[in-house]
Amino acid sequence: MKRAHLLLGAAALVVSLLVPLVVQSDYILQVLFRIYLFAALGLAWNLVGGYAGQLSLGHAAYFGAGAYGLALFTRAGLPVWLALVLLIAVALLFALLIGGVSFRLRGPYFALATIAFAEVLHAAAKNLPRVTGGDVGVPVPALFASHVHRSFYFCAVLLTAAAAWATVAISRSRFGYQLMAIREDQDTALSVGIHAARTKLNALLVSSVFTALGGALYASLFLFIVPDQVLSIDLSNEIAIVAMLGGAGTVLGPLVGSAVLETAAELFKNEFQEAHLLIYGILLVVVVLFLPEGIVGGAAALLRRRGAKGGWRAASE
Amino acid sequence: MRTFRCRLIFSICLLAAVLAGCKGGGEQANTFRIGVITSLTGSTAAFGQAHKNGYTIAVNELNAKGGVLGKAIELVYYDDQSRADQAVQGVSKLVDQDRVPLILGSYSSENTRAIVPAVTQKQVPLLIPTATADNVLETGSPWVFRVCEGSGAYARATVDFLKNNGDPQTLAIVYENTNFGQSNDKSMRETAEKAGLKLVDEEAYQASSPDYKALLQRVKAKNPEVIYFASYLLDASTLMRQASEVGLNPRYYTAAGTGFSAAEFPTQDKGAGKFAEYTFSVSQWLPTAKWKGSQEFDAAFFKLTGAHPAYHAMEAYAALLVAAAAIQKAGRSDATAIRDAIRSLDLAETPFGPIRFDARGQNAHPVLITQVQGGQYKVVWPASAAEARPILPTPPWSQRP
Amino acid sequence: MDLFAALQAVVNGILTGALYALVGMGMALIFGVMRIVNFAHGAFMMLGMYAAYELFLHAGVNPYYGFPLVGLGMFVLGYSCYQGLLRPIHGRSDFMQILLTLGIGLALTDGVQLVFGADYHQINLPLLEKNLHFGSHITVNAPWLVSFAIALAAGGGLYFFVMHTMMGRAARAIAQNRNAAPLMGIHLHRVQAFCFGLGVAVAAVAGSLLLPVFYLYPGVGDQFTLKAFVMVVLGGMESIVGAALAGLVLGVVESLTSLYWGNEWALALDFVLFLLVLSLRPGGIFGSQRA
Repeated sequence: MKRAHLLLGAAALVVSLLVPLVVQSDYILQVLFRIYLFAALGLAWNLVGGYAGQLSLGHAAYFGAGAYGLALFTRAGLPVWLALVLLIAVALLFALLIGGVSFRLRGPYFALATIAFAEVLHAAAKNLPRVTGGDVGVPVPALFASHVHRSFYFCAVLLTAAAAWATVAISRSRFGYQLMAIREDQDTALSVGIHAARTKLNALLVSSVFTALGGALYASLFLFIVPDQVLSIDLSNEIAIVAMLGGAGTVLGPLVGSAVLETAAELFKNEFQEAHLLIYGILLVVVVLFLPEGIVGGAAALLRRRGAKGGWRAASE
Repeated sequence: MRTFRCRLIFSICLLAAVLAGCKGGGEQANTFRIGVITSLTGSTAAFGQAHKNGYTIAVNELNAKGGVLGKAIELVYYDDQSRADQAVQGVSKLVDQDRVPLILGSYSSENTRAIVPAVTQKQVPLLIPTATADNVLETGSPWVFRVCEGSGAYARATVDFLKNNGDPQTLAIVYENTNFGQSNDKSMRETAEKAGLKLVDEEAYQASSPDYKALLQRVKAKNPEVIYFASYLLDASTLMRQASEVGLNPRYYTAAGTGFSAAEFPTQDKGAGKFAEYTFSVSQWLPTAKWKGSQEFDAAFFKLTGAHPAYHAMEAYAALLVAAAAIQKAGRSDATAIRDAIRSLDLAETPFGPIRFDARGQNAHPVLITQVQGGQYKVVWPASAAEARPILPTPPWSQRP
Repeated sequence: MDLFAALQAVVNGILTGALYALVGMGMALIFGVMRIVNFAHGAFMMLGMYAAYELFLHAGVNPYYGFPLVGLGMFVLGYSCYQGLLRPIHGRSDFMQILLTLGIGLALTDGVQLVFGADYHQINLPLLEKNLHFGSHITVNAPWLVSFAIALAAGGGLYFFVMHTMMGRAARAIAQNRNAAPLMGIHLHRVQAFCFGLGVAVAAVAGSLLLPVFYLYPGVGDQFTLKAFVMVVLGGMESIVGAALAGLVLGVVESLTSLYWGNEWALALDFVLFLLVLSLRPGGIFGSQRA
């Protein structure tokens, strides 16, 4: 990455952190929180889905681990910092388990296995009310006492920044090249001595940590969670859609995807009421048909065609 | 790449619209805005639509009478997609952007429980029309008021009815695994224990499955005298149809309202038809209720939708009447003033009966027990409100016509 | 719990499973030939249910007679859906195909809600009140028996189509090697469009058979999409017979879980079974080994 890009990233971070000075409305801050949260989740997903090319449709498992981890560990009387450490441990455990089984599978088998794991956890959370509170739900402690929305917004921005930094660092490391080699051709990667299963598992471990932290953040903002909220397949899909729509395997992709999709979803809901999911669905179809590489990929192709110096492309890879 | 340019322009328009939206918020001079969160899409959309119809009738009536504080009422809807997190986001949107001084909602107990912390944090009063799980009031928030009765009252009314009508000894609870189902299970378990009713079986089920026969076989093996269902609309039909198939013959079929008290349930074309016959259920309101305005509401609803309402629409309607009365009483658009007005409100006569809130924010609404007799809901308990005598015991399936 | 209760549960499980099987076979056909995980499968099934419902409501056509018409209509829709939407992204990454089917599913579900409303609907056929008794312990509800017979015929028809027709052979050739098949003179897109239409139609037929004993609302299909995934994996991704057997297994497992453990665990057990099979026999119980 060139120095210019580093400066650009730092500038973006500073601008993001200054936003609350201008935006006073809690609602807008909450929408922005959601945009950054899903950007972070999309970036985390991207490590597995985009760089390693493994389509995970069960990231709700780690998200739920984070959300329920915070709620249940603090309910058991542990301090918040310890709960955060433990919930990361739980997410890592899930990642080990899920990765251990699923990464031996390829293509659609892998995708379906991740769905199955998340669904088993979903059902367990619903049906073990003594442990999780079941569908009656469980309260989550507030991480911040005052300036709630602003604080959560800052956290989401920092989480996104950390995920973006990790993505850039990984994509430029040996580890990252190994991931991309697996994505391009797993058999060839194996033949040059890349331990494919372990490499993919490592990516999943990193991904699960960010996703679990995102889940904890989300749960604490809402103060109360039920299984359908933090462990549903819709959530897994949303995380994957954000990254794929923006452009899988790029740093900018999940950021752009989240900004476009979350804004669109919120706007459509307020404008079209009952029809908003129809419009959202059509938006997905339209993007797939006209921007098959995702928004960032499409933009890069456009710029290349215009004879731009390829700055975008470099930044996005 | 013309298509790409279109997309780009579209995206820019979206952004512009967001910015416009930020500025466009705030109170408009000529209308009084009230926030509504409900499930217009998603799994409980049918009930969200019932809400919307109830609210629409109320808003038309109120505005015909001049609205509140000299302004017409404008409802600002936020669709929670039957998802709790969306409901919470709705609170922010309605309060911060639309500047509403009070919120009505949501439909399900799950989503309603989720928005309680949010309205408390934002210090905006919340009027709950339909959520029956008692945990929506558990936080003790001073901002929350519930128009309908809850699962505890349901269980008490049912047990009271049973004690005075044959005094059965054994009970099985069959409930869907949602907040609504689990809350009603818990309330009934506790109430039955206190009353000395022996609980012989508790069965949770996954809602909207096509096959409950094995579950009903299990219940049958325990041979309870009473079954208490907590089910949504069409699972109620499936359960009763399949109960006949399995030959499940308790002396009483009872239920915690909702599916078993929906207007469609006893009808042949949209519900369980003859399989609904003899079932008892808790109900909060019927089109035939004696309260003044009930028939008029029924007629207005029929005119709007071509169907008769269940109590969910009425509860939404009543919630908006409460809101309007409180705003009028508070005399200004201020959340705290409206909250205090709701608290001291005493509506002696509404189509939903008298409405007054106790210290917990609960409206002490009388709960009725109905039985399906000849395809109609008949109130059979409490005795003071009864239109018919309960038919007991429930005839076994093999002896029904 | 006595033996007859278990037997009864198995019978009920098979009757339900036959309808699952039909949904799963549709998914397996689409997956086998096109390698597309169809997230809109349940939405298409739901659309079929609405078609059957409308036929019943306005023309008085009993779904047990109306299902071929529904199947035909949905075939045309599926065929055009392939030609219009899926074909242009042919050869793109799995990701984009999944995104596309997700988008189609969302749009269909919400579109149906806009047109028909969010209300639940159902139909009550007089047949529903008929219970057949086998011995003194086993009872079968007549509509389930009828739907079982039709599902068996439809499944058999699909099997015959795949194994013994020109189009079916072409489809299998594509499933075996999608690069070589076009070289052998197979019109790839025509065959794929046909199979997509057929897969969707079969799901819609299952939907119309389910309608008399179930109910419908715009979101009714979602759970069946998940079940279809499970079946397709259990049966081996490209095996139609495997998916059919897996459907029956699923029905019986769910029924026995409800009987011995509790209905709320039935769906979870589906997925546990699914994971066990995936980790022990990735090719499916009935499929050939394929990792």
